[in-house]
Amino acid sequence: MIVTPKILARIVAIAILGVLLQLSFFSQVELLQTSPDVLPALVVCLGLLGGSMTGAVAGFSIGFLVDCLLVEALGASSLVLLGTGYLAGLFRERFEVHSLLVPALLCMGLTLFAELGFAVVALLLGIDSPVSLLVVRDMLLKSVYAFFLAWPIYLGVRWALRPALVEEPKLRRRRQPTVLGA
Amino acid sequence: MYRKQVRRRRAVLALLVVGSFVLLTFTYGQRSNGFQRGVSTVFSPLQTVADRALKPARDLVDWFDQTFEARGENKRLKSELESARTLAVAGQEALQENAQLRKLVELDRGPALAASAYKPVTGRVIARSPTIWHSTVTIDAGSGDGVRVEDPVISGDGLVGRIASVEGGSSQVMLLTDHASAISAKVVPEGVQGVVKPEVGNPEDLILDFIDSTRRVHRGETVVTAGWRAQGLASLFPPGLPVGEVTSASVVEQEAIQQVHLRPYADLGNLDLVQVLTGGSRR
Repeated sequence: MIVTPKILARIVAIAILGVLLQLSFFSQVELLQTSPDVLPALVVCLGLLGGSMTGAVAGFSIGFLVDCLLVEALGASSLVLLGTGYLAGLFRERFEVHSLLVPALLCMGLTLFAELGFAVVALLLGIDSPVSLLVVRDMLLKSVYAFFLAWPIYLGVRWALRPALVEEPKLRRRRQPTVLGA
Repeated sequence: MYRKQVRRRRAVLALLVVGSFVLLTFTYGQRSNGFQRGVSTVFSPLQTVADRALKPARDLVDWFDQTFEARGENKRLKSELESARTLAVAGQEALQENAQLRKLVELDRGPALAASAYKPVTGRVIARSPTIWHSTVTIDAGSGDGVRVEDPVISGDGLVGRIASVEGGSSQVMLLTDHASAISAKVVPEGVQGVVKPEVGNPEDLILDFIDSTRRVHRGETVVTAGWRAQGLASLFPPGLPVGEVTSASVVEQEAIQQVHLRPYADLGNLDLVQVLTGGSRR
């Protein structure tokens, strides 16, 4: 992905929109007593389309913004989401993404990775209360939701960043072949 | 050229990781700093607009979720209704007795009336923490409305939590289910006191800890805030705010304390409007 100032502005807008949607909508709805977490999936999509550096920087920035808005210890979400974005970008640099199933599966796997990461950071920083086993169910459900939400997120982000995508196949009008002597 | 690019990438990655650790080191333990308050203030109007705009969509998802859950809840509610009828009759008798006793001792300020010293400020939930490890919500009432750090927050059903940090037009509420939350509470009618703590990851379950095992607590009993006051210090919460209902109580052999599980009265997963009890006698 070629990051021009215009594309950078679009990425910033996507990140802000994603964070606002997460905090004002997805965090406040519950399906089977678990709220979906779209931020890891958003970071994965940015990493898949932009590469490891874009993924890592986007993950760090999104995590930083979330921590700022929720007035939590800065750096915790950034650390986890930068790892998530970097891994997604690394996958894109090593393998080809041929099917739409790949981003969905990757979003699911890396959301689980991110949720485990949040748990590890929280436990390392200290938890003052007992932890229920339901956290495992919560993590698994969040990954399942990420699988289904990955398609709209991936397609939306790809549409928004289309001018910057090098490998995006361009639609060309088919021309009739020139026949010599005709 | 390629090696240079790889080296640059690694440097950026290392910088971000180190940056995260530095931020964590410097900001861990603080509830808020000037930078965070600034960002939060800038984004607060955006969050309010997003919250209002997305409310119909949120209600739609909640409707589907609640319809799904209502099936199982129906049976439980029927059995609860039966026991509630019995309690209602007993409650009427207690009310009559209470009125007579009040007249006798001329009580003009019962413990529940202490809450009247607080001035309630209504706020709407505009954002919520996405992870289960931090149970906080952001409301659209801040220092401009008279909200201060540590003010108690309630909903129509019961205690919700307390204010953790305040900006001009918004504030963060630490819910009862946050791992750092601890509230001194008592079981009524027994009056047994303990500390209510959450079980991280399970918003339907709170633990009332440090209760004397010789004084048994029973299922269905109500837990309210204790609201203690001693040697110039006072609890953050006024006495008598309903916290939850006892769901189970277990006494561990050879232990001097029993652990009581309770279900919070407030639906902490679906908060929309809350009230912050500002002012109060603790200042």
